[in-house]
This record gives sequence, C-alpha cells and structure tokens, in this order.
Amino acid sequence: MISPAATATTELTWRELAWRRQARQVALATAGAVLGLGLSGCMGATPVPMGGLNRQLEQAGNNRNPSLAGRWLALINGRGGRDQVLLLDLDQQRPVPVPGLNRPDALPISVSVDVSGDRIVLIRQLEGRSELVLYRRSLQSLQPIAMAPPAVPVAVQLRADGRELALQVSRDGLWQVDLIQLP
Amino acid sequence: MQAKPLLALVGALALTTLTSCSNAGLLSRRPAATNLGLLAAEQRRDPALSGDGRLLASIIQRGGKSTVVLQEQPGGRQLALKHLRSHQPHRSPALSWNGRYLAVLIQQGQHPIAVIEDRLRGTLLRLPPLGDAMPEALSLAPDGRRLALQVVQGGQQRVQVFDLTGLLEADPPAGRP
Repeated sequence: MISPAATATTELTWRELAWRRQARQVALATAGAVLGLGLSGCMGATPVPMGGLNRQLEQAGNNRNPSLAGRWLALINGRGGRDQVLLLDLDQQRPVPVPGLNRPDALPISVSVDVSGDRIVLIRQLEGRSELVLYRRSLQSLQPIAMAPPAVPVAVQLRADGRELALQVSRDGLWQVDLIQLP
Repeated sequence: MQAKPLLALVGALALTTLTSCSNAGLLSRRPAATNLGLLAAEQRRDPALSGDGRLLASIIQRGGKSTVVLQEQPGGRQLALKHLRSHQPHRSPALSWNGRYLAVLIQQGQHPIAVIEDRLRGTLLRLPPLGDAMPEALSLAPDGRRLALQVVQGGQQRVQVFDLTGLLEADPPAGRP
C-alpha cells in the first residue's frame, strides 16, 4: 500500500522525469540542428560532385584524359572496344557532335579543348604512328600539326583561348615540352 | 641604273611572300623555358599553360622526385610555390586563366590526392580522398569553377566532375568580372 506522501513523491518524480526527458529531447534536437548546420557548413567547403553528369559519364563506359574549358568537357571514351573523343556541353549535360574528328582506325591518346569549344587538339595513333592534329568544330576541319625537330607527341594541353598549345614529346630519348603557337 | 629599285621591289615581294607563307603555315614552335634556370637535358612532362599563356607548369625530376615547377613565359623565370615542395610524386598540373590557381595531384601516404594552391592568398585546398577511387589525372577549368578528375576504380577508368564555386573565387580572363 502506497501512502499519500509516497504518491506525491512518485508524481513529483514522474513529473521531474518527464521534464528531464523533454529537456533532453530539446537538447538533442538543438544539438542535432547545430550539428546539421555545422555539417552543411562543412559540406559547403567541399567540392560538390556534379551528380547527374557523373552518372551519365559512368554509364557511357570507360573515360579518361578529361579537359575542361568554359562550358566544355572533352575526354576519351571507350565503349564496345572502341575509343573515341567525346565533347560534352556541361550546361546542357549532353554530348555535341564532332563530325570528322573520330576515325574507327585511329586510337586517341590525348585531347584538349579551348574555352569556345571550337578548337580541339588531339594526339592519335594512326597506322602505327602518333600524330598531332587540330580540329575546328565550326569548320569541321582536321589539320595536322608538324613537329620540328621531329618527335613523338605524348600529351597535349591547349591554352584556354586556343592560341597556343603545350606539348609533351619524346625526342632523342627524353621527355621534352614544346610550345606551339596556333594562328 | 634602275636595277637597284627593281631588285629592292623583287626583294620586298619575296619577303612579303615568305612572311605570308609563314603566317599561312600552322605553327611557330618555340621550346618551353627549359634552358632558362633549369637543365636543358632534363626530363620534363605534363605541361600546362595558364589561360593567358603567361605561365607554364610542368613536372621535372628534382632530387629524383617528380616535382611541379611553375615558370613565366617567355623567359622561364621560376616562381615559388608555397605548398608544393613535398608530397612527391606530383602529377598532372593545371592552371587557371591568370595562373592564380595551380591544381596538381600529390601523394598523401599511399594515395594520390588533388590539391589546389591559391597563389594569391597563399592557401592550399585539399580535396578529400574519393574512397577506393585512385586519381590519375586532373583538369581545372580556366575560371576555377570546375575540376575534372580521372580515377581508377574497380579496374575501370572514370571521369568525375566537381563544382568548386563554393570553394574558389573565379579567376576570369583579364577585364572580365
């Protein structure tokens, strides 16, 4: 049998417990909110993956040798046993046509695009030889670029304005860098 | 007596023709600033020009380690990099328009990670590792707003693109906001 005094004490205890529980919940909620805010602040300080684009790229097969400039991303895509250059419009998140750039008998090695998306330089292997070419999308033209003294092109980067390229070559057993002005 | 003006005219015509032929030709090559301040015969790879063409980043062997160097063009004067003297091997540098940002892969422990040195503020931004995806190469958009990483994951080569707009101020071409 519980005495009235004991009942009052018990009610007080239950009220106290309930209050404490509520206080704990408020504290947890506050801490969660603070942590959430803190985390979102931290998340703002990390690079944000471009989810939709990255998913598209993953579905497109193997990709390598990315080159970013302005709204353009050029890369070498391998699918179905064939490697080819893809040019993607990042604003539209879709590939744009590059007629005449890819050949079924050529293996692309290195690619770079300028900020206008018009000029693309490409090193490709064709009939067992590596060659450097300049593609103009507006003209759909492909023009070989000679190297003097002769060298084997290995990697290329086009300046953002498309007026110059930096080229890694193999020459006389050395890796060297040439800068080539384009008209 | 009139042979001299005729010769001069022919010479001028020949020079004009040569010049126009030279302009019509695709390229004029100049070696990068290899001979200026650095050994001419050394190995150099992974070249990257800034958008304005005034800076060249490349990878050379320094003390047996692949190290990124930054040089003015033309001339070849080497510029100091505050944060990129260790954590070799370095790979795949990229520069923004005015060369404010230099992105490069460095070695952190067993894994390569991408970092971006802000030469204006003297800070270094480290991009967190991407789990089991190993970065192999990168490309920084000239304005510094995006970064593309080539990674190997599960035997597959993939390209992932990141938005950096919350992290870096833009480095636009001169005269643009």
